[in-house]
Amino acid sequence: MESLINREKPLIMHIDLNSCFATIEQQANPLLRGKPIVVAAYTTPNAFILAPSIEAKRLGIKMGMRVRDAQEIYPKVVVRMPDAPKYRDVHLKFKKIFEDYSPEVIPKSIDEAIIDFRTVSNLHPDLIDVAKEIKQRMKDEIGEWIFCSIGIGTNMFLAKLGATLHKPDGLTFIDHINLIETYKKAELLDLCGINVRYQARLNIHGIHTPYDFFKASQDFLHKEVFRSVVGARWYVKLHGYEADQKEFPTKSIGHQYALQKTTADPKDLSRLIMKLCEKMGRRLRNKGYTARGIHMWFSYRDHTGWHRGRMMPQAMYTTIELYRHAMLIFNQQPIIKPISHMGVSSYHLSDRNETQMSLFENDYIKARSVSDAADKINNIYGEFTVVPGIMMDMDDTILDRIAFGGVREMEGLETSFAG
Amino acid sequence: MNLHIHEPIDVITIYKRLGAKAAPYKIRWKNRSYLITKVGYHHKVREGRTVYHIFHVCTDTLAFRLKHDPDTLSWTLEEVSDGIAD
Repeated sequence: MESLINREKPLIMHIDLNSCFATIEQQANPLLRGKPIVVAAYTTPNAFILAPSIEAKRLGIKMGMRVRDAQEIYPKVVVRMPDAPKYRDVHLKFKKIFEDYSPEVIPKSIDEAIIDFRTVSNLHPDLIDVAKEIKQRMKDEIGEWIFCSIGIGTNMFLAKLGATLHKPDGLTFIDHINLIETYKKAELLDLCGINVRYQARLNIHGIHTPYDFFKASQDFLHKEVFRSVVGARWYVKLHGYEADQKEFPTKSIGHQYALQKTTADPKDLSRLIMKLCEKMGRRLRNKGYTARGIHMWFSYRDHTGWHRGRMMPQAMYTTIELYRHAMLIFNQQPIIKPISHMGVSSYHLSDRNETQMSLFENDYIKARSVSDAADKINNIYGEFTVVPGIMMDMDDTILDRIAFGGVREMEGLETSFAG
Repeated sequence: MNLHIHEPIDVITIYKRLGAKAAPYKIRWKNRSYLITKVGYHHKVREGRTVYHIFHVCTDTLAFRLKHDPDTLSWTLEEVSDGIAD
């Protein structure tokens, strides 16, 4: 089994900014350094914590807790709201540093990136030295309070595992020599892609540690544990080979919103839906897409939920089209109850130039042109300079947020912020 | 405590040839002067076609978020914080 381990030189580096949002707040405001702080969706007691600082984590404050719970653990915890432009700026700065080492930099989220050294391995004989240099450059060029954990491995999975094992400010090198030792020291939940439910499934099949997982045969994982090709992929990943090479295209574009105050008032909700549709529409049009599908979900105050998606005969492009169809779904809710969270997404995306024209082409082209003109004005004078009438006086509702996960749309920001 | 202010303020800036960096040196707010001891972070924010410069600066006891408009050369004090829980 050991002979199946990838014995090539590890050339994949995963960099993870520790407690990203909170650390950046501490970098910007030195009076917060060394203190337990949290960045939360709002500063209100019910708001969810998006990022606790390293000091807050040491006290047991975790991501996803409510502010109230954090204050129970530590009453003097400092609560800050997210400052999205600042986090994006840090992201772009660290990406720029990484690009000095390899042309293959893959941002995985706002606070994580992978550097693939496979095409430039001759230029960097020792990746541990490169990792140390990157850590230093991040302190020199971004800020002295910026910490990151770095993992180096033969595939993205092992590099990520390395970055996870020693936090904060860790550096872990995993190759064929120490791979088994690494698995023996780790927990199943340390493995990227293994959550509590997967852990339970593995436990049922007698897999209790990453080492058990590694020892399991490909057939066993494929046919018994996962009962799908996912099991075979796990086998490949655990042995240090790349399993997921494919770059998936954007399948949907959406926005969600946690209401500061729950409401069932259709007038208030329709205004919020309009603003969500405007934000979604701006991103849709910016990427040059139209959408045929629209999906809405609602979480109610009583912790129940409802969602529905619909395919439309005609592709949607303008905010008004998206809004009209979103409202059709909104009005289909079986019971009207106070809403605490809601989201809208568009799917079945196509290139805007490939969209079939309507019979009423003139009106259609006019509406698209007006929408494009409004986008141009907003690009020059700032978001929400020109908005549909229903959105008047609601500038600060639905704030600029950083999405967890993919950062594909941030690539364009690099040029727009260059000035 | 973190207070949102959004008031125009007086700022003295300093420019260092080495590293080509400009930053606030002293600010005057509500008839009091504050000598800046540290720039925590500087970044840019685009609003329409204007790119504003945001400076996160502090004294020994207070932290300020300053916004500079390069078109009008004006400064705004956006936030003040003492680094203590609200």
